[in-house]
Amino acid sequence: MLLPSPSELCWGIKLPPEQKWLEKAIHFAVSNIWQRAHRIARSQLGDESQTLEMIEIAIGKAVDRLQLNSQASPEEVTQLLERLYLQEVRHRRKANNRIVLVGASEDLSSTSTHHPQSLVDSAIDLDIILQNIPPEVRFALLLRYSQSRWNEIAAVLGTTEASIRLRCKRALNRIRQKLEDKKHGL
Amino acid sequence: MTVAIADSIGKDAVAENQTFPLDEDNDTLLFEKLQEHVLAHYPNPERKGCPDPAVLKSLIETPGEVTLAALNDLHIFKCAECTRLLMELRQQKKHEASE
Repeated sequence: MLLPSPSELCWGIKLPPEQKWLEKAIHFAVSNIWQRAHRIARSQLGDESQTLEMIEIAIGKAVDRLQLNSQASPEEVTQLLERLYLQEVRHRRKANNRIVLVGASEDLSSTSTHHPQSLVDSAIDLDIILQNIPPEVRFALLLRYSQSRWNEIAAVLGTTEASIRLRCKRALNRIRQKLEDKKHGL
Repeated sequence: MTVAIADSIGKDAVAENQTFPLDEDNDTLLFEKLQEHVLAHYPNPERKGCPDPAVLKSLIETPGEVTLAALNDLHIFKCAECTRLLMELRQQKKHEASE
């Protein structure tokens, strides 16, 4: 899969004309932290698959904070974005630790799918996968789960099929990955 | 895919240019697997946090009238009982449609 460019990560930013500087500053900041963000995700979380999502979350938080500050320089925006990104990495590392540190490794071979601890782990897994998903995407996933077709879901949400599928894509990929991991006993 | 950072290009315009390598059938398979996963891992015999069955029925028949709050957010993804009821309601709807 081709990775999106830093520009593509900023596509969701919509600001009034007087705040165009912020869009440029965010784009500059994303480009600056791009490589480092991937390295951090690899070293702290063990893989890079969550990097894009974590950058998007950091962008959202940075925009919220910077809308009140018209004096921030591109360098300051970069620092803020990096700080918020690291915050998200720490948050996920703690969440991962909560999962990883449950029980002892020798218990794993005897753990059945109906073991109470396994049930708790599964719940945590899905909670992590689905955390921070916007309400519209949550609702779309529920509708798809109830076997509505994408064109029907788009009609219910008042958007286009392509748009809602794009918005659900990341969550679906993560669910797909999780189910694959479970299948292979990871 | 070319996406501008701002200007007048919105999410929908961007999305129209997006291609989806996974077709709807593959999505269907994914949701079937998810359903199996929920049935196996999320038993809820006491039906804690379950939405009213009427809400699930509406989700199948008139989804535009259902709210996320009425569904108790993503509860269904963590409840084998609700998933089972949804499956029954879907079968019922298919059966009625075929008559």
